[in-house]
Order: sequence, then structure tokens, then C-alpha cells
Amino acid sequence: MTDDKDVLRDVWFGRIPTCFTLYQDEVTEREAEPYYLLLPRISYLTLVTDKVKKHFQKVMRQEEVSEIWFEYEGTPLKWHYPIGLLFDLHASNTALPWSITVHFKNFPEKDLLHCHSKDVIEAHFMACIKEADALKHKSQVINEMQKKDHKQLWMGLQNDKFEQFWAINRKLMEYPPEDSGFRYIPFRIYQATTERPFIQKLFRPIASGGELHTLGDLLKDVCPSAITPEDGEQKTQVMIHGIEPMLETPIQWLSEHMSYPDNFLHISIIPRPTD
Amino acid sequence: MSCSMAGEEDFVLEEKRFKQYCEEFIKRSQQIGDGWEWRTSKDLGDGYLSKTHYQVRNRKIPPDLKEKNHDNCEQMLCTHVEESLDDSQAAGVCATEVIHYEYHVLYSSSYRVPVLYFRACFLDGRPLTLDEIWKSVHACYQACLLEGPWDTITQQEHPILGQPFFVLHPCRTNEFISSVLSSSRKHDRHINYITLWLSTVGPVVGLNLPMSYAKLAPEQDTNDDSVESRGEHGLRIA
Repeated sequence: MTDDKDVLRDVWFGRIPTCFTLYQDEVTEREAEPYYLLLPRISYLTLVTDKVKKHFQKVMRQEEVSEIWFEYEGTPLKWHYPIGLLFDLHASNTALPWSITVHFKNFPEKDLLHCHSKDVIEAHFMACIKEADALKHKSQVINEMQKKDHKQLWMGLQNDKFEQFWAINRKLMEYPPEDSGFRYIPFRIYQATTERPFIQKLFRPIASGGELHTLGDLLKDVCPSAITPEDGEQKTQVMIHGIEPMLETPIQWLSEHMSYPDNFLHISIIPRPTD
Repeated sequence: MSCSMAGEEDFVLEEKRFKQYCEEFIKRSQQIGDGWEWRTSKDLGDGYLSKTHYQVRNRKIPPDLKEKNHDNCEQMLCTHVEESLDDSQAAGVCATEVIHYEYHVLYSSSYRVPVLYFRACFLDGRPLTLDEIWKSVHACYQACLLEGPWDTITQQEHPILGQPFFVLHPCRTNEFISSVLSSSRKHDRHINYITLWLSTVGPVVGLNLPMSYAKLAPEQDTNDDSVESRGEHGLRIA
């Protein structure tokens, strides 16, 4: 359906207006102006912030600069989470632009993974894709692909090339005609309030009787606190790519159309704003 | 990197079975005082095996290197220590490095295998880098790791604690586990999956299992063939 393909494009081209400010304690030779950038929701911070790094390094002395890291309101931002997930989880109900603080010192070793090169991002991205396919197809589809196909997925993401990416990714979204969907759905549910970074469990998209499981079914099974009883007030929002999909949406459809390029559905449970 | 099917009998480790093997493994660890314990997460009731251990490394620093800073020291020690051992014994300084290692064994529901997470830091809290960890890997494993380090040890977020750990990639597990386990079942012998798996992957990252794990409990078969058959598949119990 044309409508469904539009969703793929809307997801891919989602952007978040962001203002990067240098941390006040960083030592500079001149005052550092903030830097504004539209961040792709589907990408990763360290993949799209070369210009940010260059901008702030211009006003700093070389010896003051080591690995860059980002923070929002005191929380170090995990570069290995997609940008859209970070925003939804930490700042979705605040005013735009998203204000991120840039650091070059005191890397928080206990909170953040290191990211010394683009190779690290690629390895992480490909590991997620492989894990997603282990769940969907017992790794059969990803293993049948050639190295150049894997490379094309990464290059498509890195260079923001929708067609190039989906030429290969569509194979990861197929399933045998005798089945009605994937074996298991690759998903992770995030809540900023828990020590556990995310919830991930085995979940089938099709019930034993052949009915399609919904987003509501998934939450009931894996994170029941996210769904309050009908008579109670809904204290939380269930957010994917900045929107709240209807709980009746089939999870198989969500997996095919609203996964991130890593083929995972990254779902945020956040407090509902009270105004 | 591929997860190849191991042939006719593909052993799949279910999460329940993983927990049972861990329970058995912990009992044995307690008997021999090897320090493993089970940690349960407060919210979802899943858990993991955990062990802490300290590694003491003595470095002889030849007198002329004493004044140089720490980073240079590590590089030069590789080339100088062996040559100047005689000289340094007389006039050199011994620096003792204590490294705190933490090992966790978690279950991956995506790949249906156990996964080894670990981290290491000096006593002052400074964590070891991936490079420093690789340098401490046993010499005979270094050749395999050099070919594709990103496929074997990577830094990842611990799925329960949310902190950075190093991880030994689970993808190759099925290649050796399935064949050993299916042959052991053919001979009606009980092998603890965790003991088998950990004795193979552990030494790669400095974790050794005492031989006492290999001894079977009194009510079971005490046939030594079980140790030999593990040997055929290139496993080591250090």
C-alpha cells in the first residue's frame, strides 16, 4: 500500500532541532558560540556530530581536547542509542530546540561506551541488525547476504540514503508465505526511571489461534505497569518515533514499518505531561 | 561472522535450563570455594552468575625507566624486561599492579546461549581499556583475536546494570558446544553446560576454572573419558 511506504519515509526523514552548547568548565581561548543542527532521529550522535566537534575545537587548545561526549540536564547521553530514542526518553515533552551540552573532558567511564572511530558505530549497528535477524529469522536472512549487502545497510545509514538502505533492508522485513509474520519481534522498552536500561523478551507476533498480537498485548505481557486499567488515569505515554501509536496496532506491522534502521522497535515509556 | 548450524543435533539452551545449570554450577563452586554467586535482579527476577577476582602482576622496571611516565613504561617493558632481567634484579624496582576483575554470565534470549560480560579496573578505579584487556589475553588466543577483534570482544552496555562491560561475542558458541553435548548425551553422561562453556571461553579473558569442576559428583560416573573427549574438541580446563 502507498500509505505504508509513506510511513517508512516519514520515519527515515524525522529530524530533531538541536542546540549544542559547550560545557562552561571547558577551557577555551575565545567564547564558544552554541551550534544548531537538525539531528536525524534514526542515526547516532557520534555519527552526525563531526561539525559540532570541529566548531568547538576551534576555540579550544589541543591539549584540552579528548573524546567528545554529550549530556542532557546532567544525564550522559548514550551514543549507541538512536537519537530519536534519546529524545523521546529524556526530552520529548520539553520545548524545542533540544539543548545538549558538549564535553571534551572527564569522560564518564561508568556510564558511556567509548566511541573512538566510526568503525565502532558500524560494529554496534551491524550487531543490532544481526541480533534482530536472529529473532526474526533465526539469522537465516542476514547470513545469506553477502558482505557487500551488509556494507550497503551501513552506508545507507551513514549517508542518509533511504533507497540504498531499503534495497537491502526489505529482505530483512520479509517472511515465508506460510507464516503470518516474524518468529519473534525485535523490540526494547525503555523507562528513564529504572536501573535496568531496557526490557527485552521473546515475543511472538502471532497468537496460537492465528490472531495478530497488538502493541497492547506486548505491553501487557512484558511491561504491565505501562498500561493502567481503563477506569484509572493513564499516567504514562507509550512513544515510538515521537508519536503514540494506538495500542490496537498489530505488533507485526509496527515491526515492519516503525523499526529503526537497526531493525529494532525502540519503545519509550515516559510520564504523561500533566497540563 | 556467521552462526552456523552445528549439524544433526542442535542443542538449544532454554532459559529455564540455563538457570538450572547455573544452580548446579554454583553448588559446585561453593564446594570448592571458587567464589561464584547468583545475582537476581530486583524488578524482573532474571539474574546472572557473578564472580570477582584480583590479578596481581609484578612488573620489573629497569632503573633507567623508573623516571618515565606510566604510559611509556608499559610499551618499553615489553622489549626491555626480558633483556635486562639480570641487571634489573640487582638495581631495578618491582611495581605491583593489582587489577580487579568482575565476570558476569548472562543468558541471551536472542541467541539462546550464555554470554560472558567482564570489566577490569586498577585499584584507583581507573578502568582498563580494550587495548589493555587485549594485551592481557593469553598468547595463544591473541592470533585468533587479531584477525577480527570486533567480532570477538567488544564493549557493550550490560543489559541489567546498564554500565559498560566488555563482552565475548556469543555467535561462535554453538559451533563447539553442540557437538560436545550431543556426544555426551549419546554416552549418557551428564555435563554441566556452564562448566563446559566457561572452561572454554573463560581462559581467553583471564578466567580459569579449577580442575575440581571436572571431577564428577560421587553418585555419578567417574570415568576419565569425559575429560579426554573435551580435550578432542580443543577445550582447556586450566
